[in-house]
Amino acid sequence: MRFLIAIKDTTPESKNILHIGVKIANGLSADLSVIFVGKKSGAFIEGDVALARQSLAEWNIHHPGIEVLKWAFESIKEFGFLNDEYTAFDPSNLIEESGRIRMVLPQSSGEKIRLLLREGSLLNELHKETQYRDYEIAIIGNPERKRMTHKLIQFLDTSVFIIKNFNPRWNYKILLCVDDSVATKRAIIFGAIISRQFDAPIHAITVSKTKKFGKGYRNASRWVQKYLRMQKLPHTISMITGKPADVFLQEAGTDHIIIMGKSAGGELKQFIQGSKPIHTAQKAKSPILLVKP
Amino acid sequence: MSNSAIRAFLFWVQQKKWLLLIIAVGVAMYWLPYPDTISTRGYRALILGIMVVSLIITEPVPLPAVAILIAVLEVSFRIAPANEVARSYMSDSVFFIMGSLMMAVAIIHQGLDTRLALAIIRFTGNKIYDIVFGFVSISALLASFVGVHTVVALMLPVGLTLVRYCSAKQPVPNITALLLFSIAYGSTVGSIGTPSGGARNPIMIEFLRSNSETGTTLSYGQWIIMTYPMVLIGILTTAFLLRTTFKPEFSSLDSAVRKLKIQVAHKGPLNAKEILTIGIFVFIFLCWVLLNEKIGMGIIAIAGAFLYMASGLIEWKDINKNTNWGVILLFAGAISLGVQMKNAGTAVWIGNGIIGMTGGLMEQFEVVRYIVVIFLTTLLSNVMNPAGAVAVLGPITLNMGGHPLFMGLTTATSASFSYLSAVAAPACLIIYSSGLVKMKDFLRAGWRVTAASALTLLIIYYLYWPLVVGFTNFK
Repeated sequence: MRFLIAIKDTTPESKNILHIGVKIANGLSADLSVIFVGKKSGAFIEGDVALARQSLAEWNIHHPGIEVLKWAFESIKEFGFLNDEYTAFDPSNLIEESGRIRMVLPQSSGEKIRLLLREGSLLNELHKETQYRDYEIAIIGNPERKRMTHKLIQFLDTSVFIIKNFNPRWNYKILLCVDDSVATKRAIIFGAIISRQFDAPIHAITVSKTKKFGKGYRNASRWVQKYLRMQKLPHTISMITGKPADVFLQEAGTDHIIIMGKSAGGELKQFIQGSKPIHTAQKAKSPILLVKP
Repeated sequence: MSNSAIRAFLFWVQQKKWLLLIIAVGVAMYWLPYPDTISTRGYRALILGIMVVSLIITEPVPLPAVAILIAVLEVSFRIAPANEVARSYMSDSVFFIMGSLMMAVAIIHQGLDTRLALAIIRFTGNKIYDIVFGFVSISALLASFVGVHTVVALMLPVGLTLVRYCSAKQPVPNITALLLFSIAYGSTVGSIGTPSGGARNPIMIEFLRSNSETGTTLSYGQWIIMTYPMVLIGILTTAFLLRTTFKPEFSSLDSAVRKLKIQVAHKGPLNAKEILTIGIFVFIFLCWVLLNEKIGMGIIAIAGAFLYMASGLIEWKDINKNTNWGVILLFAGAISLGVQMKNAGTAVWIGNGIIGMTGGLMEQFEVVRYIVVIFLTTLLSNVMNPAGAVAVLGPITLNMGGHPLFMGLTTATSASFSYLSAVAAPACLIIYSSGLVKMKDFLRAGWRVTAASALTLLIIYYLYWPLVVGFTNFK
């Protein structure tokens, strides 16, 4: 299993993103790729910037993105993801491949972790990266624009975990949004894994717009109950009537990690109007994981 | 169609939205009625001009693709026949840009930056204000001859090393900004001083030469005579304005200078390769000054690239890898478009439109014409690129009345006033890409330097240029 963590700087927010990523990856024994997407210079002056960077590299002054990756590497080490204490970050081990720069970590732990640098727009570069390699989850910070949240969820062919307002000192609970969509089962399985890693109780809710809950909804709710009981995880189950996105947000508040399936149908409709998961992710005030079908 | 295919298509649409919009605008304009005051050819050249500027600013396709599109549409829109378009793509100015870029790669390849570091420190000492003045003046003087990007590539490591060692407590934002802006603004100020300072200068020389109304031929030396006072005044004002904008955290960089000296001291005296590198450049510079009227600046520049390769100072694969061929192709395309805009009457039409918009002020007060040119060029060079701004505006400003030589020099000079943003000028973008200066720093310092430069240019136009033209035989 492979996780992709996108960080934009060396702020505490980025550290939180790494923290969550490492915690979940540890639970699943997953490989971790950390990516920094830097701004690309205009095509007019691309060559000039490249020449200046070559000159700077000879003075051991590296691309600002390399400094960010170095910081990420140290943070990951601090979180205990790398057992090999001799694994070191060495900028001379950078290799260029397929439009990205990769840091090669020669020691054995290096196989578990990849440090990547790309330049361009966040959406395009994450899209290219997820096309280049299969990732299970892309873990990202909160995009500044709602439209960007929409595009990332729709166009990245992975599950997307958006880390919003995460406080590592809080005891988070899991809000599992259950319905009859194809992605729900995978969302429940992920919910169970994350619950175990964070030692967090699960609140599974099924929301219907009308008072009558369809067969699909009832079956999904029964399945989640059965599964969580089997996994011996602390949980509560609710069936609520209301507008799904609003109910999810109200129930989640700021102290829940929301987990739900990514919408599977109607790409064009989703592009124009969005979808229930997209609207929830845009308005959420806490971390949210959207699991791909 | 499967969901994944639709998703891939939608992703392509959102990636190419600007391209689709620009094509839609181009097609709509093509079919819309147009004013009687412009010819069909002229109107089509106008459409092409709008499309090209939009494509360069939004970059939905690679720049070489824009260069190719210019040729394709010039022929398809029947603006000019295929052979004429092909001819307009290659000129001595394009050779000059190509040769200068190739020589820059060769010079940077020799690692002269450490020599430069030692020379600067010897010259300036360790007082921060002296270092700022030294950075501005050396960047400006060097950039005049070898181009902005070469100087920034050589100077930036020196500046960043001083920043890194100046204090154990980082960051030091004001000293960082002072040193980095000294390099970026200094080299930009210097880039107006000679034709080899930046691609915009040979582009303007080409426009001046090909403008049938004026047919002005400006040699390398004549360009220096006209613009160098501006460089010298610019060095003083830029150093002063940077000092007043960013108050340094401390006044002396004693320990940083010492550490820098230690870092570069191991190099020893100049070696044969370094002497040869400098020797070839001095030879080429002398040829530019003395021979350019006989054999052309472009031929001399590519001869320089030949000498660097022939002497073994650089291999072709390094030049090939590090020269931005796409930009050279785009400049060729932009010059071609400019020539066609002039031939088709588009430039005159737009020029008259701008004159009309000022409500006769330009006829009444000559200086207004120059203020408008400075404003338009500065604006476009801050959002597009200095050379791109000259390529687009050059044919227009040369047709806005006034003294053609003065108008041309005003356009080329004010295209360097791209101090306000980090997106357009190479020097500004390179220091911004270090991640150590912020966009708001460009605005803080940029408006002062832009205002001072514009004022200096107006004074030079009013007092100095008429004097020079009156006393010499070039017109």
